[in-house]
Amino acid sequence: MLLSWLDKSLSSEEGFEQVKGYLASPLVKLVAWGLVSALLYHLVAGVRHLIMDTGIGETLEGGTKGSKIVIGVSVALILLSGVWIW
Amino acid sequence: MVTNVTNFSRSGLYDWMAQRVSAVILAAYTLFLLGYLFFSSDLSYAEWHGLFSSTGMRIFSLLALVALSVHAWVGMWTISTDYLTPMALGKLATVVRFLFQAACGIAMFAFFVWGVQILWGI
Repeated sequence: MLLSWLDKSLSSEEGFEQVKGYLASPLVKLVAWGLVSALLYHLVAGVRHLIMDTGIGETLEGGTKGSKIVIGVSVALILLSGVWIW
Repeated sequence: MVTNVTNFSRSGLYDWMAQRVSAVILAAYTLFLLGYLFFSSDLSYAEWHGLFSSTGMRIFSLLALVALSVHAWVGMWTISTDYLTPMALGKLATVVRFLFQAACGIAMFAFFVWGVQILWGI
């Protein structure tokens, strides 16, 4: 989906306007928001894994704490992105 | 050690590293684009087209495309070898897993070529 938007938006002035038109519709915004949310969660959880690779947060307690932080940060970013998209 | 011909490389360690390196590249690219879109008010076609025409952005985008292919392949390979197992599917497992990986590989390559074509076509 993102590639097709990039393709169309870069192809021409009309294509760019067309993509802007897509983004106006609530359904497209919902799909885009869903995609961004999944990406943000994956990104935050990924960063956590990179941190764990350094040895931080590998204990049982550290693990559960890390998970809570990931969920907290993800929810916050997802809400913010929602505000931004809507 | 179980030798495996369908993973990305000779050893699991190489995959592990490729996964991390590609993740960092993709994180940087994602944050850059999100930041760019967030801070640009009323983006015009000229500006958007200009961004992707600059050599720096082209290199960065191509790098992200390669990283995406690597990240996706290693990720999906890991998932398929975790879940499409004889325990789950019995003797069908190997065939199903192979077809799944082939499909992922083709999809990955198609997206990569499509992405390059977009960058190339500007």
